Amino acid sequence: MRQTSKRQILGILALLAGLMVLPHFLQFHHQDFMIFLGINILVVVSYRLMTLTGEWSLIHVVMMGVGAYASALLAKEAGLSFWLAMPAAGIFTALVAALLCFPLFRMTQFYFLIGSFAVGEAIRLAWIYFVNPFGGSSGISGIPIPELFGIDFFNPISYFYLVLAVVSLSLLILYRIENSRVGLTLHAVHWKAPLAESVGVDTWKYRSLAFIVASLFVGIAGSLKVHYLGTVTPHQFGVGIMVFVLIWVILGGYNSFFGPVIGAVVLSILDESLREFEDIRPAIYGVLLIAGIMFMPKGLESVAPNLAGWLRQRRTTTDNRGS
Amino acid sequence: MRGGGQMPGCRRAAIAEAGVFVLELFLQSIINSLVQGGFFALWAVGLVLVFGVMGVVNFAHGELVMVGAYSVWLLHAEWGTPYLVSLVCAVLLVMMIGFGMERYLFRPKREDALGGLINSIGVLFILQVVAHVIGGTGPAKQVAPPLPGTLVIDGILRLPYQRLFALSISVAALLLLFYFLTRTRLGWALRAVALDREASALQGININRISMIAIGVSGAMAGLAGALMAPMTNITPHMGHNVIITSFIVTIVGGIGSLSGAVLAAFLYAFMHTFVTVYVDGTVATMCGLLIMVVVLIIKPTGIMGQRVSE
Amino acid sequence: MPLLEVKNVVKRFGGLMALNGVSFAVEHGEVHGLIGPNGAGKSTLFKNIAGFYTPTAGDIVFDGHSIVGHSPHSIAARGIVRTFQETTLFQELTVFDNVFIGCHLQARSNIFAAILGSDRARQAQARQRTEEVMAFMGLDERREQLAAQLPLGSQRALAMAIALASSPKLLLMDEPFAGMNPEETNHMMALTRKVVESGTTIVLVEHDMKAVMGLCDQLTVLNFGSLLSQGKPEQVRQDPQVIEAYLGGSA
Repeated sequence: MRQTSKRQILGILALLAGLMVLPHFLQFHHQDFMIFLGINILVVVSYRLMTLTGEWSLIHVVMMGVGAYASALLAKEAGLSFWLAMPAAGIFTALVAALLCFPLFRMTQFYFLIGSFAVGEAIRLAWIYFVNPFGGSSGISGIPIPELFGIDFFNPISYFYLVLAVVSLSLLILYRIENSRVGLTLHAVHWKAPLAESVGVDTWKYRSLAFIVASLFVGIAGSLKVHYLGTVTPHQFGVGIMVFVLIWVILGGYNSFFGPVIGAVVLSILDESLREFEDIRPAIYGVLLIAGIMFMPKGLESVAPNLAGWLRQRRTTTDNRGS
Repeated sequence: MRGGGQMPGCRRAAIAEAGVFVLELFLQSIINSLVQGGFFALWAVGLVLVFGVMGVVNFAHGELVMVGAYSVWLLHAEWGTPYLVSLVCAVLLVMMIGFGMERYLFRPKREDALGGLINSIGVLFILQVVAHVIGGTGPAKQVAPPLPGTLVIDGILRLPYQRLFALSISVAALLLLFYFLTRTRLGWALRAVALDREASALQGININRISMIAIGVSGAMAGLAGALMAPMTNITPHMGHNVIITSFIVTIVGGIGSLSGAVLAAFLYAFMHTFVTVYVDGTVATMCGLLIMVVVLIIKPTGIMGQRVSE
Repeated sequence: MPLLEVKNVVKRFGGLMALNGVSFAVEHGEVHGLIGPNGAGKSTLFKNIAGFYTPTAGDIVFDGHSIVGHSPHSIAARGIVRTFQETTLFQELTVFDNVFIGCHLQARSNIFAAILGSDRARQAQARQRTEEVMAFMGLDERREQLAAQLPLGSQRALAMAIALASSPKLLLMDEPFAGMNPEETNHMMALTRKVVESGTTIVLVEHDMKAVMGLCDQLTVLNFGSLLSQGKPEQVRQDPQVIEAYLGGSA
């Protein structure tokens, strides 16, 4: 495990402190934005864990929906408190992912991409078709807001702190995974699977592990999202959203842990500022996507070398590996 | 349908009528399946061509079909151009878009499959917005069938001339494509590149030119499909979504490298989907299709007719 | 009992018969050479032993147990590790990390231990093992270098180091001398002898006759997927069939 230097720890604490103060200076609308940005960061970093093994799936956003629906049903129908529903939703999503490993990981590369797309779409259609219990096209509404010691979570600032806490903890865990032996093994599976196999690495197991862990965290993200919105519908988890996630990861760069975060932040802010151009926004995204791939194929993280170098954690002194 | 009448004669008549209705529905579904199959085949063939020859998954393929449909709407329904002229224009327009995509987006990313795919997603967004802007918001566009009228057989089989026309043109286009691929030098060159690009280049085949031709044909098929579909379907900026999903399913089930597999799978899938939609539900039909595709991917990733196991 | 017994292994790919009933046995501590012209099936045989292919027929018995049909990683867990043709390394990682991954079998941890850091002791052990292996192969000075930056000889040594990290009983080496100049060959031969002396059994696929004759205790010669000759190097090199098929009268 990389020894995070004192400088980096201080930097992160400073960032967190700044984030805690920030919402008080923002309008409601932007506070809203910060909440969704936080959730999307979790989505994007959990996706990256999967790409470490070299597998690009198109089912990630649907897994977010699985967590969202699970949380909604647990809270609304089973009366579970949010504080139980959210982790339960994450675990449920992980279980679904574990089941899906069996069909999905028989395919690799291109077939896996298409296969994951198909399974995801089938799940989404199931939400639409089975009106009981999923509510069909209009989904489920009236999802209860979290409650804790009388804190008013309708207030975006309070919800933002909730998101900040959950996402920070999740990122910490994901970061530790990546920098542990498990993370190193995931990299090995990506670069030279046969070589990894020859030293005893069960590549199927590790690919599955990445998928299951990624799904667990994105399921939690889904839960956070729908408890804020109060409604869950199938359209929140369609192909369009999956494409956005891909854009954030690819344009941000996926060589480092924070590349996708940069992508999500920069592109979300860009997205916000283009709000007035609502109608042609997808086209602008399209142009940005093409421009990004053509001129910055290594992503934003490669354009900010100083910042990225400070944050990047891959090639380092090896003495601390494993401690 | 008359319900159970008071007199036995009425009831027998009602049952007979119900029987005819069932038969009619069944026969009609067969006709619809054939017409749909023609479209699915045109869609799938375009996707397979581009993937086979150029190695890239063109996510904007559905939007190319959509552009074909929109062109016909704009030229024929809005501006009154004769249908056939609009159809030809639609095909040419989509071909041009295809050429542009190959020249500026796919060629620079020839080594990078993911890059090409991302570029095609960019085009997907752009085309959807263009359609939105040109067509405006509001309900789906409709194009009145330029060939109205129906051929009625035996009082039970109704064959709208427009659908017959669409089916004939689809089949003709597919036959032409097969002729082109199997009996012309250019067609052989295309197949050679699909089989082994490096070896073909070493033999002196101009990869750039072949790629242009591949996407040109793919675009032509897509544009043609869109133009033929226009009088029969709701035209919206998002109609490409269904096209790409169906094309994926058909392509995988038919065999990723195989054109004849794609055509066969297209008709089989059309039958399955039409009948399930009629007798159960449209959403269930698509779900079945997706699940069949996943089963094929697990059991025999090369599909019905494919032999090459991909990387 | 021999450490490895290949019994009448047949491997067919569609219509192509790659291996046609090949048999041989490898004793503990032996260096067993597998030679033959290109396309004779040597690498295919390796892949069958290591679990990357499954034999169409026949059996492979390692340490008394049949390993046919097992996955590569479980065969590795039993003690067979292979190196690959065309040096296969984790190019983007350092020498240290490459070997560290090789310690997987001893040092793998589950995800919870990884998150909580409770596998500290095991990782420390793995680090120590990594240091040992690097020193053994003469790579410890290069530990921070990226695999991609190493000279050829060091790359091959690294490939061996990765394979040795898990202390395998049997090492399958696939053309480790390919493309080496005489000096590199000598160095590699010395390293290989060192490995054998430390108790590892080796099966070696190789074209370089100097290395083969200098290292191997026994040879098995394949041609067109079938066994052509077997025995000590001095015997085999004089076998007229072998000379005709392969050695071309020289060596």
